[in-house]
Amino acid sequence: MSYLAVAGVAVNFGGLQALTDTSFMVEQGRITCLVGPNGAGKTTIFNVVTGFLRPAAGSVTFQGQPLVGLRPQAIVRAGIARTFQNLRLFVDLTALDNVVIALPAQFAEEPLGAIFRPLHTARMQARRREEARAVLAQVGLAERANEVVRNLSYGEQKLLTVARVLATGAELLLLDEPASGLAAGALDRVMALLRTLQDSGKTLLVVEHNTRVVQKIADEVLFLHQGQLLAQGAPDRIIADPKLAEIYFGGAL
Amino acid sequence: MDFFASYVVLAEIYVLLALSTNLLVGVVGIFSVSQAAVFGVGAYIVSDFLLTDTMGFLPATAIAIVACVVLNILTTLPSLRVAGDYFVVTSFGIQLLATAGFTNWTEGTGGANGLPGIPPAELFGFQLATTLQYLELSTIAAVLGCLCFWLVMRAPFGRLLRAIREDELAVAAAGKGVLHAKVSAAALAGAYAGVAGGLYATFMSFIDPSSFDLDASILLLSMVVLGGMRTLSGSIIGPFLLLALPQVLTLVALPTSVAAAFRQLIYGVLLIAFMLFRPQGLAGERL
Repeated sequence: MSYLAVAGVAVNFGGLQALTDTSFMVEQGRITCLVGPNGAGKTTIFNVVTGFLRPAAGSVTFQGQPLVGLRPQAIVRAGIARTFQNLRLFVDLTALDNVVIALPAQFAEEPLGAIFRPLHTARMQARRREEARAVLAQVGLAERANEVVRNLSYGEQKLLTVARVLATGAELLLLDEPASGLAAGALDRVMALLRTLQDSGKTLLVVEHNTRVVQKIADEVLFLHQGQLLAQGAPDRIIADPKLAEIYFGGAL
Repeated sequence: MDFFASYVVLAEIYVLLALSTNLLVGVVGIFSVSQAAVFGVGAYIVSDFLLTDTMGFLPATAIAIVACVVLNILTTLPSLRVAGDYFVVTSFGIQLLATAGFTNWTEGTGGANGLPGIPPAELFGFQLATTLQYLELSTIAAVLGCLCFWLVMRAPFGRLLRAIREDELAVAAAGKGVLHAKVSAAALAGAYAGVAGGLYATFMSFIDPSSFDLDASILLLSMVVLGGMRTLSGSIIGPFLLLALPQVLTLVALPTSVAAAFRQLIYGVLLIAFMLFRPQGLAGERL
């Protein structure tokens, strides 16, 4: 049984075919990179796997469980969490609250518990904050816990999106361009973090444009073009392929 | 003294309504302009039960609360399908429907003539005959209402609601259900409106559709906006301030024919001025 299996997935936006009969597998414990030119369908795959988009055809199975038709929050509970290219952090909340909110199954996430068991709520909240602080420390943001997110730097905000998916407890993390727009220092931090996550047992599916980053972190590369999987293999082989380079840098086939 | 006491009673009832409106509009970002309609349903239910002597104040208010919870969930549900600005139009329609119902269903509401002679509240065999006795009841209700709001806002539920206002997709991506949280918030807001309805009807002893129309909903919004969105203090300051305004204006010698229009004028100017110069209200969070 494969870890994550995407089979025959098709997605149309009006007349545009964003994905046509796309199939691939992701193996547990590896870092798999999704590459391809703009519009290849990388983010669309993320949207399908995480339940934000229902495919017109095809199936997605995670550890044998079919995912198509499940709502996004159910897929998070099943063990898959994602980040967004445009971050989508709660910018008016603190960094800590952005992480706390993603911790699963909290007491008093509805009003009755909060009103009738206030002391229990407060105790549980204190415990959750500690858990969230530990997650923030994992991505190196412990110092910034109480800062409102809009005051964080772009690099810090990117790290925070990783903290938020970690907090969900998911085993498979889908990261949408975790390294884009980062200065050299921040880039190294993110790459080191991805490695640490892998070492701690997480499986990563990463959309990435930067070929140097791909070469450094990927165990496996999926090359997507015009909604189809064009090639799959070790990063060196994919990046060295002149035909793929032509598509990637030179436009159409 | 009695005059001042009745001002405070009314203000405290409106604090409950402001909390109801603040929860939906300020905290979750569901721009409801029909909270007065829900308030009205609560008031009419309690009035009808008391006028027909079917049951006492407490069970009648309990039924009003349940009815307002259900109604508020139903009126908020379109916000799950209709996004942002469009929901205002839906909510506006709901308010118009309610006003039409209050005005035309004469058996239940007395129509435009209203319902006179609503008996005062009776608690555990003790009748609240004087304004000062009402003051005790409304103060207890307002304090409990504020306490619940405070507890809820500092709990995970409050954080979830704030997050929903910012980005619903991100909330789903964090593994939380948006639907369930919104329904819970609407239920809580409905409960506040139900309690306020029961208190208002029995305190005034007379109700008519003018207390529950679009103007009333806009008054509630004004209280929340001027007092301050999303904060507890905002929902306390707003009602006390806006209900004091007409009293203050009576000190200015104005012919009664223009007094009402003048008051509307002041409300309008205040709203515009706040939006331009202090959009977060007197005690709200930075927007």
